[in-house]
Amino acid sequence: MNRPPGIPKWPFAFFAFYCKKDRFEEMHGDLEEYFHERVETVGRNRARLFYLRDVLRCCQPYAWKTPHFFKNSSIYMFRNYIKTSLRSMVRNPTSSFINVFGLAVAVAVSIVVYSMLEFTYRVDDFHEHRESVYLATYSADRDGVSTRFGMTPAPLGLHLLEDHPQVRSVCRIGTHPAVVKFEDHVFHERAHFVDPSYLEMLSFPLASGVPAELSDVNSVILSDEMAIKYFGYENPLGKELTLKFGEERKKPFLVTGVAAPFPKAHAISFDFLINFENLTFADPTFSTTDWSAFIAGTLIQLDAGTDIGQVQAAMPQYLPAFREAQHPRKIHGLEFEQLATLRRNSAEIVGDISLRISDEIIVGLPIMGLFMLALACLNYINMAIGSATKRLKEIGLRKVIGADRRRVVAQFMIEHILVAFLAAVLGLLLCATLFLPWFSGIAGSPLAVQWFSPQLWLFLIGLATMVGFVSGLYPALYVSKFQVVKIMKGTLRFGKNNPMMKAFLCFQMILAFVFITMAVMFYQNSEFQANRPWGYNQHGALYAQVGDRSGFEKLSAAMSKDPHVQVIAGSSHHLGSSVASTEVQWADHSNESQVMAVDRDYFATMGIEVVAGESFQGQSQKNQVMVNQLFVKTMSINQPIGSMLRMDSSQYQIVGVVKDLHAFNFYYEMRPMIFRRANQNDYQYLTMRVQEGTESETYDHLRAQWIELFPDTPFQGGQQVDLWTKFYSDLENMKRFTRTVAMVAILLAALGLYGLVSLNVTGRIKEFSIRKVLGAGWQNLSASISNRYVAISLVACVIGAPAAYLLNLGLLRLMFAYPLSHGHWVSLLPFSSSL
Amino acid sequence: MGRSQIGEFEELVLLTVGVLYDDAYAVAIAKELEKQSGRSIAVSAVHKSLYRLEEKGMLDSRLGDPQAKRGGKRKRLFTISPYGKKAMEESFDLRSRLRNQIPDLALRFNS
Repeated sequence: MNRPPGIPKWPFAFFAFYCKKDRFEEMHGDLEEYFHERVETVGRNRARLFYLRDVLRCCQPYAWKTPHFFKNSSIYMFRNYIKTSLRSMVRNPTSSFINVFGLAVAVAVSIVVYSMLEFTYRVDDFHEHRESVYLATYSADRDGVSTRFGMTPAPLGLHLLEDHPQVRSVCRIGTHPAVVKFEDHVFHERAHFVDPSYLEMLSFPLASGVPAELSDVNSVILSDEMAIKYFGYENPLGKELTLKFGEERKKPFLVTGVAAPFPKAHAISFDFLINFENLTFADPTFSTTDWSAFIAGTLIQLDAGTDIGQVQAAMPQYLPAFREAQHPRKIHGLEFEQLATLRRNSAEIVGDISLRISDEIIVGLPIMGLFMLALACLNYINMAIGSATKRLKEIGLRKVIGADRRRVVAQFMIEHILVAFLAAVLGLLLCATLFLPWFSGIAGSPLAVQWFSPQLWLFLIGLATMVGFVSGLYPALYVSKFQVVKIMKGTLRFGKNNPMMKAFLCFQMILAFVFITMAVMFYQNSEFQANRPWGYNQHGALYAQVGDRSGFEKLSAAMSKDPHVQVIAGSSHHLGSSVASTEVQWADHSNESQVMAVDRDYFATMGIEVVAGESFQGQSQKNQVMVNQLFVKTMSINQPIGSMLRMDSSQYQIVGVVKDLHAFNFYYEMRPMIFRRANQNDYQYLTMRVQEGTESETYDHLRAQWIELFPDTPFQGGQQVDLWTKFYSDLENMKRFTRTVAMVAILLAALGLYGLVSLNVTGRIKEFSIRKVLGAGWQNLSASISNRYVAISLVACVIGAPAAYLLNLGLLRLMFAYPLSHGHWVSLLPFSSSL
Repeated sequence: MGRSQIGEFEELVLLTVGVLYDDAYAVAIAKELEKQSGRSIAVSAVHKSLYRLEEKGMLDSRLGDPQAKRGGKRKRLFTISPYGKKAMEESFDLRSRLRNQIPDLALRFNS
C-alpha cells in the first residue's frame, strides 16, 4: 500500500489507516481516478483538497477495518462467560442476592469511610492562596507540656508587616460576642473583627458587594446564612444592623456585602465581618500594642515564591516583649503554620481558627471499613465455593471440550469480578440513598456522594476490582483444580476437609466477634455514660445568661418572688457553658486549672457537694477559694483548708473542698478546679435551684420574666439537664450505629456459615440418607452436621474474644475520658453452632 | 417473499448499475447519476449503497482489470442479480400501481 505519486500524504495515511484491506484497492482506485481527473480540470491544489474531502467522506462504517478485538474468537468466549455467569446468578437468586448484597453493604461502608476521609482532607482546600498564607502560632507550656497555640498577641501582626518586606499583607482576626439587632430580630452572635485583607487571603467570594468595603469601619459583611436569618429573601445590601457589645456599647453598621454560601468542606468561617478597628470600640480595655492581649488569629501572606524561613528566623526578636507580658508562663517561641496544612495539624494547635479532626474518624473508620470488607469477602469466598458444587458438570464439560485450567480460572475470575461490580453499583446506590445521609446525620458533616469526582470513580472501580480479585482468586483456583474424570464419574469428594475454608470461616467468625463485642461494649458504655453522675445535681437547676450586674439584680428580684425558687446565685462562669482556665501555684507546684468565679450560693444552686471546710463566708474576704478533690490530689496538698495559693499574681486561701465534677461533657476529662468569689459587677449568669418537679414550670416563668424585663436581648438559659442534649443524642446515635454494624456483621457471618453448611450437606447427602434409613433422629443428624463447626467456633472464640475486647477498649479510650471498664466476661460463646 | 427494503438512493444506484451494464463501478455510477439527475453525488454515498445492495444480494460484483488512470488499481464492477431484478421490478410495479390508482380528479388543478 505505497502512496502513489501526487496523492497527498496525510489524507492517504488516514485512508490507509481506516480502510478495510479487501476494499482498499477498489475504493482508493476510485478516489485516485477522481483525483487525476480533477488535477486536469481544476488544478493540483484544489484536487488535493477534494481528495481530502473524499477521504473524510469515505470514513464510514462500511469502509472501516474490523478491530482485532471483535474478530478474536476469545471475545465470544468472554461473552459466553458473562452469559453463563448471569444465568447461574439468575438460577440461584437467593445465594446470588446474598453474595451481591453482602458485598454491596461492605462497599457502601467503604464508600462512607472514603467520603468521610475525603471530606476531612478536602476541608479548606478551596482557598486559592493556601500555599502563601500562614497563621502565626506560639508555643508555651501548658500543664508542663509544650503546646502550640493558635491565638496571637495583638501587636505581632503590625510588627510583622512593618519589619519584613516579604510579608505582603497581614490580617488580624479578633472575635467578640455581640447582640445583633435588626428590627425585631435580636440574637446573640459572634462578630469577626478583621483587617480588610481578610477577603483577599481567604477565598470567600461575595455574592453581592465588594471586598474593599471592609476597610470602612461602619460596614459589615454577612455570611449567606446570616443574611437569610436576618433578612429572609430581602436584599440585605444597604440595610442597617445594630451591633451591641456588652451592655451599653452600641453601633450601627451598614450591610455592604453578603458572602456566597461557603463550600461545604470548610473549617474557617465567619458570620459577621467588620473592620478590625472596631475591636477597641467593642472592648475598651483592648489595646493593639499590648503584648498580653490576645486576638483569635493573625494571618500573613507572603509574596509568591518567598520562603517562610526568613520570617521565621526573625521571630525571636519579638520574644522578650511577649515573655515579659506573659510572665510567668513559659513561652518557647513563635511559629507559622501554612494554611494548606493548618487543618491537618489543627489537633495539635490549641484554639486556632480551624477545627480539629477527630481521631476516631482517622483511625476508627478505616479499620471498620476494612473489617467489613474482609468479612464480606470471606463470606463471599465460602459462598462461591459452595455454589460451585452445582456447576461441577459445567466445569467438567468445559475441560473436556478443551479449556485448560487457565481458562476455567479466567472464567470464574470474570464471574467474580462481575459480581463485585454489581455489588459496587448496588453499594453506591445503597450508600447514596441510605448510608451517607444517615451517617452525616450522626457525624454532623454534610456528606454527599461526589458524583462527579473522578477519584470516587477510581476508588470504586479499584475497590470493585480488588474485592472481585481477592474474593474470587481462591474459589477460582479451587474449583479449577478438579479432575474431569472424577467430576464425570461422580467420585469427587467435594468440600470435605478443606483447611483453607476452615481458616476462612474461623477468621470470619473472629471478625464477627469483634463487631458483636463492639456493639455490646459500645451499648453498655453508652448506658454507662448516660447514667454517669455529673458530680453535681443537675436536676432542679436552672440558669440564665444575664450579661451584667443590673441584669442579674432585676431578674433576681423578679424571680425571688416565685414560690418554687429555693436559692438564687450569681456567677461570672457557669458549668457547661463557660469555664476559664489559668495557671495556679502552690508551694513549688504549678498547674493549669479550670477556674470559675461564683458567689456563695452557687454551690447550693448547682448541688455541688462540699466535702471539707465550708462555702465562702462573709462578704469582705475576696481571696477565699474552694477547690475540688482532684486539685488537692494533683497539687499533693496535705492540709488543703487554709493553704494559700497563688493565681494571677494574687494570693488566695482555700476554705473548702468540693467533690470532683464534670464541667463539660464526658468526652473530656475532669480537671483540677478552683472556685473563686465573683465580683458582683462581673456577674454573667444567674442560676437557681427550684423544687424538684417544677423545673419546666419555673423555666417558662423565667423566660417570660426575661422577655418582660429585657425585650431587646435574646433569652439564653434553660434547665441544666438540657445543656448536653447533643452529647446524649450523640451517644444514642453511637449506640444505634454500633448496633447496626454488629447486626450487619452477624448477618454476614451467619450467611457465610449457612453457605458452608449447605455445601457440606450437599456433599454428604448420601451419608445422611443412610444414617436416616438406619434410624438416626434429627438430633443425631444435626450433631453430625454441627460438630465439625464447633471446633472452629471454639478457636474463633479463643482468639476473637480477647482481640475484640482489646481493640474496642482502645477505640473507647480514644473517644471517652472515662470509658466503662468492662469485666473480662466479654466472651460470647453461645451462638457458635446456631445454624 | 420478504419485503426487500430498499431506499430511494439505493434504488437509483441499482437502476444505474443496470444502465451502465458491464462498466458499472462507483465512479461511473456517480457520474452517470450526476448527469441524469443534475444532483451532485458524492462517491462515498455511491460506495455505501453499492456495498449495502451487495450485502442484500441484489448486486453481484467482480474485479475488473487494472487501469493506469486508477494508479494501476482494479475496479469493482457490479451487475444486477436476479434478486436485484425482482426487487427493482417489485418497486417499479408498486409505483406504477399506485400511480394508476390516483383518480384523474386528484390531479386536475386548473378548474
